[in-house]
Amino acid sequence: MLSQRVAQQTLRRMAAQQPAHRFVAPAAVLRTSNAIAGQRRWAASHPVEKMSEGEAINKVLNQQRLRRPVSPHLAIYQPQITWYLSILHRITGSLLSGGFYVFGALYLIAPALGWHLESASLAAGFAAWPVILQFLSKFMVGWTFTFKTFQGVRHLIWDTASMITNPQVNKSGWFVVGASAVSALALCFL
Amino acid sequence: MATSALRPALRQAFAAPTARSVLPALRYQSLAQRSPILTQSSGFQTSSRRQILPPLPQKIQGTVNDAAVHPEPHPQHGSYHWSMERLVSIGILPLTVAPFAAGSLSPLLDGAFISLLIVHTYMGFGNIITDYLPKWRVPRWRMFFDYANLLAVFVVGWGWYEFETNDVGLTEAVKRIWRASSEKKSI
Amino acid sequence: MALRIASRRLALAQQCAPKMLRRGMATPASAIEHTKEPLSATSESLSASRPPIPESKTTTVKEPHFDPQAKTKTFHIYRWNPDEPTSKPKMQSYTLDLNKTGPMMLDALIRIKNEVDPTLTFRRSCREGICGSCAMNIDGVNTLACLCRIPTETTKESRIYPLPHTYVVKDLVPDLTQFYKQYKSIKPYLQRDTPPEDGRENRQSKADRRKLDGLYECILCACCSTSCPSYWWNSEEYLGPAVLLQSYRWIADSRDERTAERKDMFQNSMSLYRCHTILNCSRTCPKGLNPALAIAEIKKSMAVA
Repeated sequence: MLSQRVAQQTLRRMAAQQPAHRFVAPAAVLRTSNAIAGQRRWAASHPVEKMSEGEAINKVLNQQRLRRPVSPHLAIYQPQITWYLSILHRITGSLLSGGFYVFGALYLIAPALGWHLESASLAAGFAAWPVILQFLSKFMVGWTFTFKTFQGVRHLIWDTASMITNPQVNKSGWFVVGASAVSALALCFL
Repeated sequence: MATSALRPALRQAFAAPTARSVLPALRYQSLAQRSPILTQSSGFQTSSRRQILPPLPQKIQGTVNDAAVHPEPHPQHGSYHWSMERLVSIGILPLTVAPFAAGSLSPLLDGAFISLLIVHTYMGFGNIITDYLPKWRVPRWRMFFDYANLLAVFVVGWGWYEFETNDVGLTEAVKRIWRASSEKKSI
Repeated sequence: MALRIASRRLALAQQCAPKMLRRGMATPASAIEHTKEPLSATSESLSASRPPIPESKTTTVKEPHFDPQAKTKTFHIYRWNPDEPTSKPKMQSYTLDLNKTGPMMLDALIRIKNEVDPTLTFRRSCREGICGSCAMNIDGVNTLACLCRIPTETTKESRIYPLPHTYVVKDLVPDLTQFYKQYKSIKPYLQRDTPPEDGRENRQSKADRRKLDGLYECILCACCSTSCPSYWWNSEEYLGPAVLLQSYRWIADSRDERTAERKDMFQNSMSLYRCHTILNCSRTCPKGLNPALAIAEIKKSMAVA
């Protein structure tokens, strides 16, 4: 089979009037320089530029690589307490820090805008809210704070390379979920 | 070795000029011209509406046999940075718990609390930027956010300095706003 | 040799130039002709992030032998064929009679390949959890198909994907080139300058040897690394749990004399410190190892030192 193909190939090249020395080293066939390759193309799909055998293989592979899809990830991975709490930690941290930053920056420019961000006026403003809204907002802010704090402690413990086996991680994870909810509720009644 | 030397020749044989093989070859080329994957210069691609930074087509740095390259070692980006993060977090912890026990923080401790929070936030936001905006892929956005993050430290720091010097302080203010609702109920 | 490497690099640099050689070795001309997708749709579908066509829009291949007593279970399997590079990946459904199938997911896959659809492609070798070839995402969790039992409730349908956020070579076969390149970068071999004391072997106390338990068993199946969201987003620079565990295997080895150098390699923001202790790695390891603990130990030792 192989020899047949090589023979065919040889015939085809003879027809294309190839110099004889090319038959001696088939690997060199691909190394034709750009200048003369233009006149000597015998197939539309023949490679034109310089290439060694290794390059050619790499090139084919690299072309295939460019077409590969990326397998699904976030959308298909099982919801697990490990990565769900981790992303919640990042989100709650960003919310708290974001609020902290926004208030700091707004307080700086408040006089220019004519806003009143003094603690007294904020407290008075909050007191005027409906009770349900007060409770809900206190719970949301409180939970964000307690969750971030408890989860932060969990992370600090892990950083000492303890409490990091699967059962312990599971238990402490659910503990953080419970404790943050309970303490946030308690904070609402402060 | 002999067979491997023959391989390119064989490939040429497959690429014989028959109508069947020329057509797809041409089609392939036109595909390549139209496809966005060969002109991957911009960071934010608009071709996908669902993701902000969709994965790029696969590219291998060097050959498959080269080891992956690590950046130059700089402890201030490595272990010092990491230790600093932990120290700041540990410092914040008692300051978050203390107000619940003592009712409020002294102005000095309150100021320390705020400074630590700003450093903690700076490092936290820095981590988020490093995670989601790879330097090799979106260098400009990365630089923009890094500097914005740094700038925010000073702006917010100034703002909170004003608040601390003109108002009652962070923990006391939170306490007053928090209690505002229950005071109203009791009245 | 050096010349060869250099020329290969050149070839990589030239990647973007127009090529005639685009018809890959594994791409027979007939296969390309069969792609039905119109050209206008290609720019969208050629993006690397291509969500698979859901199973509701594909056909189901049925169990070949009908049996009234059959315990039929449905498997949805991720399919993508490189011979049709413009086509989208799809979820292909297969039904199998569990009475005629072995107990493990790999048995189901092999049975599908042998009796139902020979085009299904996946890696497998030892079928007993020691080679790590059949790592894939089964029902949302990365594991070895050979160690994963088929849930016997027939009402629940199973879903099989390649390892998450990897480039797909074909069907369930991911490209792990980057993973192996990263493994190579941590120099996973004993490095010593002093010859052994007795001139024959590098001895180690029992206590020192025990430190390697839970580390040397890693088979590099890449389940943990591809379960790590941090590695999903930053696999170009972050090493990932598997490679870091392997690195700790040498850091913890009392016979290795390059401990400081190994740690110094991680003194940057990416290689090690993209680990945010998400802990998906330890949760998913099919060998029951704890990459998160190994990484925590590395960080701890680097912080103290």
